[in-house]
Formats: sequence, structure tokens, C-alpha cells
Amino acid sequence: MSALVLDGLTKRYGSFTAVHGASLRIPHGQFVCLLGPSGCGKTTLLRMIAGLEEPSGGQMLIDDRDITATPAHKRDFGMVFQSLALFPHLSAGENIAYPLRIRGVPADERRRRADSLLELVRLPGMADRPVSRLSGGQRQRVAIARALALEPKLFLLDEPLSALDAKLREAMQIELKQLQRRLGITTIVVTHDQREAMTMADLVVVMSEGRIRQAAPPMEVYRRPADAFVADFIGMTNLLEGEVTVPGRASVPGGELALAGLPPHGRALLSVRPEEVLLHPATAAGGANRLAGTLSFVRDLGASVEFRIDVAGREIVALTRPQDRPSVEPGAAVIVEIPAEACVILPPEGRVS
Amino acid sequence: MAIGAGLDRRLGRRTVLAGAGAAAAVGAVGFPSIVRAQSKSLKVGVYGGYFKDSFDKHIFPDFTKATGIAVEAVAEPTGEAWLIQLEQAARAKQAPADVSMMSQVAMLKGMAAELWAPLDPAKLPNAAKVKPALMNKYPDGRLSGIGAVSWYITLVTNTKSYPQPPESWAALWDPANKDKLGLLALVSNSFLLDVTAATFFGGSKHLDSEQGQLECFKKLAELKNNVKLWYRDEAQFEAALKSGEVPMGQYYHDVTGLAAADGHPVRSTFPKEGGILDSGSWAVSKASKAGDLAHVFIDYMCQPQIQALLSRKVGTSPTIDRSATDLTDKEFAAVSSDLAPIVPRYDLYVSKADWLNQKWTEMIVG
Amino acid sequence: MIRRAPRSLGEHAPILFPALMLVVFFVIPFGLMIAVSVARRIPGGFYEPDLVFANYERFLSAFFGGVLSFSLELAALVAVVAVGIGFPFTYRLARLPRAAQVRWLVFLLSILSLSEVIIGFAWSTLLSRTAGITNLLVAVGLMAEPQSLSPSFGALLAGMVYQAFPYTVLVLYPALARLDPALVEASRTLGASPLKAFFTVVVPAQRNTIVATLIMAFVFALGSYLLPQLLGRPQHWTLSVLITDQAIYQSNMPFAAAMAVFLVLVSLALVGLSLLFGRKEEA
Repeated sequence: MSALVLDGLTKRYGSFTAVHGASLRIPHGQFVCLLGPSGCGKTTLLRMIAGLEEPSGGQMLIDDRDITATPAHKRDFGMVFQSLALFPHLSAGENIAYPLRIRGVPADERRRRADSLLELVRLPGMADRPVSRLSGGQRQRVAIARALALEPKLFLLDEPLSALDAKLREAMQIELKQLQRRLGITTIVVTHDQREAMTMADLVVVMSEGRIRQAAPPMEVYRRPADAFVADFIGMTNLLEGEVTVPGRASVPGGELALAGLPPHGRALLSVRPEEVLLHPATAAGGANRLAGTLSFVRDLGASVEFRIDVAGREIVALTRPQDRPSVEPGAAVIVEIPAEACVILPPEGRVS
Repeated sequence: MAIGAGLDRRLGRRTVLAGAGAAAAVGAVGFPSIVRAQSKSLKVGVYGGYFKDSFDKHIFPDFTKATGIAVEAVAEPTGEAWLIQLEQAARAKQAPADVSMMSQVAMLKGMAAELWAPLDPAKLPNAAKVKPALMNKYPDGRLSGIGAVSWYITLVTNTKSYPQPPESWAALWDPANKDKLGLLALVSNSFLLDVTAATFFGGSKHLDSEQGQLECFKKLAELKNNVKLWYRDEAQFEAALKSGEVPMGQYYHDVTGLAAADGHPVRSTFPKEGGILDSGSWAVSKASKAGDLAHVFIDYMCQPQIQALLSRKVGTSPTIDRSATDLTDKEFAAVSSDLAPIVPRYDLYVSKADWLNQKWTEMIVG
Repeated sequence: MIRRAPRSLGEHAPILFPALMLVVFFVIPFGLMIAVSVARRIPGGFYEPDLVFANYERFLSAFFGGVLSFSLELAALVAVVAVGIGFPFTYRLARLPRAAQVRWLVFLLSILSLSEVIIGFAWSTLLSRTAGITNLLVAVGLMAEPQSLSPSFGALLAGMVYQAFPYTVLVLYPALARLDPALVEASRTLGASPLKAFFTVVVPAQRNTIVATLIMAFVFALGSYLLPQLLGRPQHWTLSVLITDQAIYQSNMPFAAAMAVFLVLVSLALVGLSLLFGRKEEA
């Protein structure tokens, strides 16, 4: 049984469609990231799940119960907003106890629960602190604690970490993931940061132009992107356009690649991650899937070295570990090897799965 | 005060009605040659708005034609601000206006300060016809001012609500008229103490003593239940009277007549006790250096033809006996009545102003 | 930034202008008013500079005390009703599409251009027996015969609330337009119905704005002197009406000034108290 099922969820604003028939099954206890560039519909989808936007079509089920028409305040979901939306007139503790107050939980019980939630988000003793006197990270934790106060069935977060600086953000990503694992709560986070999604998610849902492009575990999304958009959006990739000449062989700028799984004829779009591309000096022996080019640029990133190679007018990027760095300098003729097993064959551009 | 605030509002309709009929030309004969002297300009203060406009149109051009004296009309502010300006200017030997039209209360206050230059009756042959009640005199008998214009406040009713006109001011006290009256809101412009004294206590002599004044207040308090509107703004009452919302009250006789002529269901009645006769007087500032010209002007204004002209064009009641004028019965009835009027006790409104005001306010607010 | 007391004239400059404005538009006029209030009235005339307190003594009576307390109560009631209607109205307004908001704001601004006299006349007509809304009620059969609803306390209250309403909306609007819509959404996801969210989040989060608007509407209503005459009966005349009577009709400037000084002091005290109360709550 899935915790949450979305079936063809659609949101239209006049003639503009923000979300096109989103369908998704989210198992219990999963950490899901809705990932995509701004304007891709991920926040709208999250707000529909929260009950803050009314879907124009489709259905939503939670534990097999239809909640499509259930108002937000009866859904029992916890949500953390991008602006955090802490109530400025209440202290940290009162913010956390707000949902309990709404439900008529007695004051001393509220206080006790607020204290233990503050403990959970590692802010012990902060209950009486006014919201205005909390740091960015502390506010973040209060917002999380408040959303968790009712032990919600679903924990929703809309770009929760976007206001934090890079370092704190990394730390919070890990902390959030640990917290989620500890509580075992089904969680959906909206983010535009693929690193963040990779760090936290069990399931990454990549969206673009209102459509779900791929929903899969992070490494699968990385290794087996469903289409060119996903391949390009998640990490860095080399996209090669090829033409199938004879079955199992595709001609690409600068040479020919022998690949399994190619379409029998016509055009083929190939994706290969830079760290999979192998770089050899021009003196190296020839072989399968090797293309000749000129090294145009080298960049030492510390943990890795990035090479940009001009292959028949197209740029191919390769990453190596420093210790594997071949001794070539910009301007030198090089050979680029694209291992067949590292190459992902994508559906041609413009078609949607 | 009553003059300024009261009559400005009549402007619109009045100017329309005043269009017909050529201004009576007044001959230049018989005026003293003194006016041919070098200073031929006179500053005349009249209430700004309706009065100044009417005088500029109907009176001053003919006066200049008749006498050769140019008139510089000065718009007076309402209230007693003009009196204060005249007083302060006089201390600096200045006169913002040589002759001014003053309310009776302002006349008395100016007299208390010896502001007005005494007038010489010998230079005012036409003033002999002015009614004695409209002559202002210093306690020692010197003439301080002469009636310029006068008008009546009467008992007015909506004819739909009251098919029969009331006969006496006592109608204001009739319990049948509960919540039906509109009365002026101030002791010093409603003159209801004078009306009470005339209606129930045999005349304004009753107001001589404080005892009598308190009795009048007590009697007045009895009509409070009948009052729906204590008005300061005349337009508000006029509209309410026309619509029948407030079907009875006190209001200006001539304005009511004009409203009736326009087809509104209203009428003005002179009660048997008389209408309230309010007036303004001409007075000359002691700082004025044009005293002689001022006498010429005042005398000119007292002429029967001019008083008749004022009645026809401005809607005021003549300050002289009607028999001296050529007003027809209809013209006369539109602005006045032969019944003895109730002349307000202006002296009281000066000497006991604060006390009367306090009692009055407590009476109607309390 | 280091904060220290400003020393040179240049460092004082930022507060010089507001200070100057305060002096020119408040301190000097108020000082003049105090000076006039202790002047000696010349009965039948004007007044002379002096230092007498007769005007204050005259004011300290049960009669004027009653008028003063009625004026304060009326102003407070007008403020509460205007803000009570204006706050939810402005909250909804700030959430309308931009074009609709502009239309409403232009409409409200145009009400501001109406003078007190026009508002008074409009309401007295609207509430009259001969041309008022009761005729409409009679026409639809809800009433047996038309009634006159003015002058009365209700008419006065309606007129004054109508007059104060656009001001309250315009004062509330910026704060409510800035209000993070996520606050309400957050409270909704935390289990509050829309109504509950409004009362537990929007209202308390805007408490300072509400208090400031109440004070503004209160002071504004306190100065009203035409509507009580046009729509109220004599017992509804406010102190401002009596001040006007004294200043304009009785030429009793010293007494008018004394009453005005009293009114200013009492309203300043009330405003101060409510601010103090507000600060204490916040602490």
C-alpha cells in the first residue's frame, strides 16, 4: 500500500497549465524530492498535495482514502514553507504548540510537547525566545518542529533550506535526512538544487514544464536518466547526437561508436557522464569507441581535474581523479574514449515519456 | 452673524429672480455739493457672498452715477471677525472700510468700545423716515448707526403636513407637534427667548430680570420634545421642510416665500405675536477719514426708492414705513408684515452672552 | 556601526526637519492655543492677554464632563466599528487581483474627497422618512410605513463610521498587503479553519497595526464637528461642536481654546496609555 497516490493531478490557471497530469506512488516512509528548475510546477504540485491549491483535475489518495476535496486544515499534513511562515507574534515554543492549541490540547501538555519537539530539533530551552531573536538555522528548526508537532501523515517542505548559507545548508540536509529516517515519516521536499535532492532523497521526482520527467532513486536518475532534460539537469553530462548507420553502430561527430540498445536506424541521442569519459594521449593505440580531438582547456578542481576537448567542433568534457591525470597540455592532440557501458541512449529530443 | 450665514445661501435662486425689471434710476438731484470734493472714493463693507453680490449689481453702480462717489466694496467675513478687524485697525488709525453693515450684536459691542463715529442727523435728511427701532444710539443719545437692511424670521410649515397654517408661536409647544420642529441651534440666532417672552409672558420686558430669563428657559425646555432638528445649517432645515421630514419650524420669511413660489409645499406665517425682526445697521468707523461721504451714502440708502429696490431685488424688509415706498401689497407681503414685530433683546445677547449661552446649551443638550 | 550621540550640526540634520515641522505645525499652534486659553475674556468683546484660569474652571463642570466623556466614547466606538469592519475588508481587499484592488482603492479615495457636509446630507437623506431606505423596506413589504431614522445616535454612528472607513482602510492596507500569505497557509496546514486562521494569526500578527489604526480613527472621529450637528440630536453634540460654537458663534476664544487644550490633552493621554499598554503586552 502506498502512503500517497497521485493520479493525473492537473492544475490550470486560465490557459496556462502549471501541472500536467502528475501521477506518482509514494511508499510509506519515503523521502521524496520534487526537483526541477524554477517554474517547472513542483511547488504547485506540493501545494496541491497540501490542499492549498485546488486541482483542476485528477485525484489524490492517502492510505487509499480520496483526499482530493479535503480542505488543508483537515489533511493533517505538516508543512514547512519557503518563507518558514513563523508566526511573528508568538515565541518559538508557542509557534510549535500552535497546532496543539488549535486542537484544544491543554496548556501544560502543549508546553511539554513543545519542549520535547525543541529537543528533537536540537534547540533545547529555546521555548520562550521570540521568533525575531532566532538565527536563520534556528528558525528553520522551529518551522520543522512546528510542522511535526501533530505527528503528521505527510511531511511537506517547500524549498526549506534556500535561505541558508551553503555550509549550514549542507549540514541541515544531512540533519533533515537523519530526522526523517529516525521518525520514519513520509516526506516530500521541493528543491531546485540537485545536490540537495541527491543528498536526501530516496526517490527523486524530476519535473520540467509542468510534467514529471522521471521518478526514481537518485543514483538511477543519475546513471539512467529518462531523457535529455533529466540527463542535463542532474549533474553534468555530454550529450552526443548520432546517426545509426549500421545496426549497433552510431556515427557521431569525430567518429563512430559501437553500442548495444541502439534503435535500428535513424537518429540517436547519447548521454555520457564526464567522469566516465576516458582521455588518452594521441600516441595511445586506437580501439573501439575512440574519437580524436584537441585538448582546449584544463581546470584543476582539487578533488578532480576537468578537461575540455574539441572533437570535430563539439566540446566533450572529461573528469579524472588527480592521480589518474594524463600528461597532456592544452593544444595537444588527444584521444577520447567513450565506454559503451557508460553510454545512455536517450529518446530523441522533444518527445515526452 | 445671522445676516451673513443666513442670507448667503439664498444666492442661487435670488439672482435668477432678480433678473427681471430694470433698476429704478435714481436722480442725482438734491445731493449736497460736498461730494464734489477731491476724495471721491468710499470703502463700504458688506457681508461677503449674497449681499455683496446683490449690492455690487443693484445698488453701488447707481449710487456712483447719482453722486460721483466711487464705491470700493469690501467683503466682510461672517461672525464678529469683522468687528475685531475694525477695532484693531482703528487702534492703528486705519479703516479697512469707512461704512460697514453690522449685525445688531456687533453694533452694541462696537459701541461699548466707542468704535463708531457719531452720525450727524442734520446730514441725513432721509434717515428721519427710518423706523425708530432700527436707529442705534449711544447711551448719551448720539446716533451710532442706522438700519441698513432688515428681515423676518417667522413660523414656517409644510403645507402637506399642515393644511391649516398655525396662528401663534404657541404651536411650537403643542404636544401634537412632537418630533416635528426645526429650530435654530443657538440662543443668539434663534431669538427663541424673545419669542417665549412675547408669547407667554407679555413681551420682551419680561427678559429684564434674571428671574424672567430663567422662566423663559423653563418654558422653552417644555418644547424640547417637539424638536427634531436643532439646526445651524439653514440648507439642512430648508431641505427637510420642503420634503416634510421636519414639517414645522422657524425660518426666513422671504426665503420661504421664494421656495413656495417655486412650487414647494411650504408657507411662512406671521404669528399673531409677530415675526422676529432681525436687522443690520450701517456704522462708520471712527478711524475713517471719509465721514462726509459716508453720510452721503447712508442717506442715499435710506431713500424710499432704494428701500423698495432692496425689497424687490435683495428680499429685505424696508427699514422705513411702507407707506413711504411704492411697494405693492404683494411685494410688501413677500418681505414683511404690518404686524408689530418681535424685536430681539440684543442688549441681553451682549451683556449676558456667556451666561445665556451656557443655560441654553445645557437646556437643549441636557 | 558605532552608535554615539550626534555632535555636529550635520549629524543632527536628519532629525532637524521633522523637529522643525513638529514645532511649526504642533508646538507653536498648541502654544498659542494655551496662551489664548488663559487670556481674559472681555464680555461683549474679544480677549486680552492674561493669566486667568476661569475658562478651565468653567469647563470643570458635570455638564462639560458629560459632553467630554460622550465625545470620547463616541470616538472610541467609531474607531472600533470602523476598524472592526475595515480590517477584514482590507484583508480581503489585499488578496484580490491587482486590477480589482486598484478599483477599490480609487473608489475609497474618492470617498475621501467628500466633505463632512456632503456626507452628513447624504446620510440624513438616506435615513429620512420621505426619501430614505425605509421606503425601500416598505416597498418590499418588510415595513408597514416609512420611518425617520435621523437624527439619532445610530445615524450619527453610521455617518462617522462611513467617514472614518476609507482612512482606516488606507492605513491598514500597506501592512495587510505586506502580510506573508504563507502565514495563513501555515496555520491552515496546522489545522486551523480559514476563520480560525484569521483570528489566531492575522489579527494577532497585525496587533500593532490595529492599535495604530484605532488611535488614528479615534483622533479623527474626535475632531468631527459637523456630523454630530447634521445627524445627531443635541445630546449627541460632541465637545468639538461646543468648541466651534464658542469660537465662531460666541466669539469666546479663550473658552474655546481651553476646551480644545483639554481635548488635546485627554486624547494625548489616551493615546499614550494605549501605546504603553501595547508595549507592556509585547514585553
